[in-house]
Amino acid sequence: MIGKRSFLQNIFLALAVGSVLFICLFPFIQILSTSLKHQFDWGNPSLIPMKINLEAYRELLGFGKMKDAPIPDTIKRLLDNPLITEKKKDEIISKYRSTGDVFPFPRYFLNTFILSASAASISLILAVFGAYSFSRLRFKGRSTIQRSILFVYMVGGVMLMVPLYQMSVKAGLTKTVWGSLLSLLLIYIIQTLPVSLYMLGNYFRTIPYSLEEAAATDGCSRIEAIFFIILPLSAPMLVTVFVYCFIIAWNEFLFASVFIKQFHDFHTLPLALQSLFVSKNAIWDRIMSASMLTLLPVIFCFMFVMRNLTGGLTAGGVKE
Amino acid sequence: MASVTLKNIYKSFGYVEVLHNINLEVDEGAFVVLVGPSGCGKSTTLRLIAGLEDATEGEVLINKRVVNLIEPQHRNIAMVFQNYALYPHKNVRENIIFGLKRAKAPKDLINRRLERVSRILELEDLLDRKPAQLSGGQRQRVAMGRAIVRDADVFLFDEPLSNLDAKLRHQMRSEIRRIHREYKTTSIYVTHDQVEAMTLGDKVVVMRDGFIEQHGSPMEIYLKPNNIFVATFIGAPSMNMLDATLFPGFVELEGQKLMLTKRINENDIPLPKEGKKLKLGIRPDFFLDEDIVGKETHLAIIRNAHIDIIEPLGFDRELDVQVGNQALKARLDLRTMAKEGETINLCFDMERAHFFDVGTEKRLSIH
Ligand SMILES: Nc1ncnc2c1ncn2[C@@H]1O[C@H](COP(=O)(O)OP(=O)(O)O)[C@@H](O)[C@H]1O
Ligand SMILES: [Mg+2]
Repeated sequence: MIGKRSFLQNIFLALAVGSVLFICLFPFIQILSTSLKHQFDWGNPSLIPMKINLEAYRELLGFGKMKDAPIPDTIKRLLDNPLITEKKKDEIISKYRSTGDVFPFPRYFLNTFILSASAASISLILAVFGAYSFSRLRFKGRSTIQRSILFVYMVGGVMLMVPLYQMSVKAGLTKTVWGSLLSLLLIYIIQTLPVSLYMLGNYFRTIPYSLEEAAATDGCSRIEAIFFIILPLSAPMLVTVFVYCFIIAWNEFLFASVFIKQFHDFHTLPLALQSLFVSKNAIWDRIMSASMLTLLPVIFCFMFVMRNLTGGLTAGGVKE
Repeated sequence: MASVTLKNIYKSFGYVEVLHNINLEVDEGAFVVLVGPSGCGKSTTLRLIAGLEDATEGEVLINKRVVNLIEPQHRNIAMVFQNYALYPHKNVRENIIFGLKRAKAPKDLINRRLERVSRILELEDLLDRKPAQLSGGQRQRVAMGRAIVRDADVFLFDEPLSNLDAKLRHQMRSEIRRIHREYKTTSIYVTHDQVEAMTLGDKVVVMRDGFIEQHGSPMEIYLKPNNIFVATFIGAPSMNMLDATLFPGFVELEGQKLMLTKRINENDIPLPKEGKKLKLGIRPDFFLDEDIVGKETHLAIIRNAHIDIIEPLGFDRELDVQVGNQALKARLDLRTMAKEGETINLCFDMERAHFFDVGTEKRLSIH
């Protein structure tokens, strides 16, 4: 039979797929593994921790006590100096031991979530109406507008950064934290909108127009037809577009590092992770579990999209 | 219930004009069928009435009110689409009651209507299924149900039976007739199938290439077609069109004289000396076998027609015969003893024959 594989071919295929998969997943396995290791295990090349250590997760999620940061030897030696008063010593130690600003993970998580979810929601809403008009309405300059939107992708983010920042400064947005967040939100929306429009527009075109005509004869206005017919039929694509925008915003580092660097309380996870990496609180298991927790929503989103993408919602409506 | 009027309608898509000066009157409660070959503009006409297309020129009136500028959702029409256009994400029940729900009809009314429609269309066991889980015929019935469940002023049907097998089509045809008898809703029905047109319509409108060729009752159209197109389009097998020459008292066909029932008044039709060339139209069903009817003087007779093929069709047999250089079809009942390869004398009532002008293709009134 055509396309039937022999046993040997099957094995080779499995090996090939397996190795690609392993190479792709290896960094993630490494992250997971290290995040679960105890300090004595860090240098161990084995991926399987000798003993599972959940301390870092507990600490980040706020269940456990913050682990004391190790006091560097030079400082210890300094502390041994009898000339320093007890009071001064305590001050120095407490400065090193202070855990208040180590890594307030829930706070950063919430910042990122709110920012990403708002950007994704607004982008989705705009994309629905934009894509609908591109795919269904006839108006002057439609194709010009449609094409020029893709221009956003012709210029890389780095090049746009300075002009965009200057624009925000001129608009007086960077003076306050809310203004900066608003600029960031707008940038995320603008960055994701072209692809959202494209994906949704193409999807809308697969929905037969006669369904809307049927809705019209059933008494629906155009807007009602969009809500009652088009959107329910596009549910999988809406989810996909939302997740796409959400993940872009969730992982974005460049613009966040420019616009909200100075507002520590409003850092997003990529920004916070980067600060963590270079801070005195950079302990391997903490870094890795923070990375893991940052990844988690992304993984969750992908699984959700894959379950929903089986599609086929419009089948059976019209005679082909 | 409402009347529908189209006044001097022209419709162009870009530079292509697809409807030319369409005028149509549909009385309150009438059942009008638009029939014509595919591409002649039937769907476009229907969509103009529904408001899904805008007329390039002319007026559409529903209930004597000009509705050109009124959106489809405010015209209170119900339409069965050529491609069903069922909502794929809704089950059969939701598909059917969607319009009533949009109109904010009370719950018990919706339930009563749903029950009734699903009984008439035998959809009771399918109510919870999605369109994708239905066969073509079932989908067509749901599409029908979605239209007739509503209290619409006008029902518009666009080839609703085109996808059914012969038996179901026949059954649905009776169903549609019964529904119309019951609800008396003004209905406009589009089909390319002339049998459907003849059996369903109170009034039939024959269209070709964006023109209305003729309208009238099915019998008028069948018995008095205006031109060659209507004559051959309506009726199956279609009317024989024979080259013949007309003289004051008779027609000459392949050298045979067929007597007219009365002499032609030469003031009505000027006849040159050598006769007037024209088309003689006779329906296959109007032929009789001379051996069976015997010599009846008032019938015209085509003699020595050579029988090529006989197709037995139960009660009827259909004969392909050759008269001189011309082929024609005749449908005789089963008493005929004719055999393939032999010859036969075919009689017909001259009053049932039609004469068409060769140039204009219009019917000449001779009887
Ligand atoms: N949206 C359209 N754009 C361009 N031409 C069209 C459109 N709809 C129909 N036509 C043309 O108009 C003519 C009539 O079409 P239609 O009304 O669908 O015919 P019918 O229903 O009788 O088969 C056809 O020649 C068709 O190609
Ligand atoms: Mg059509």
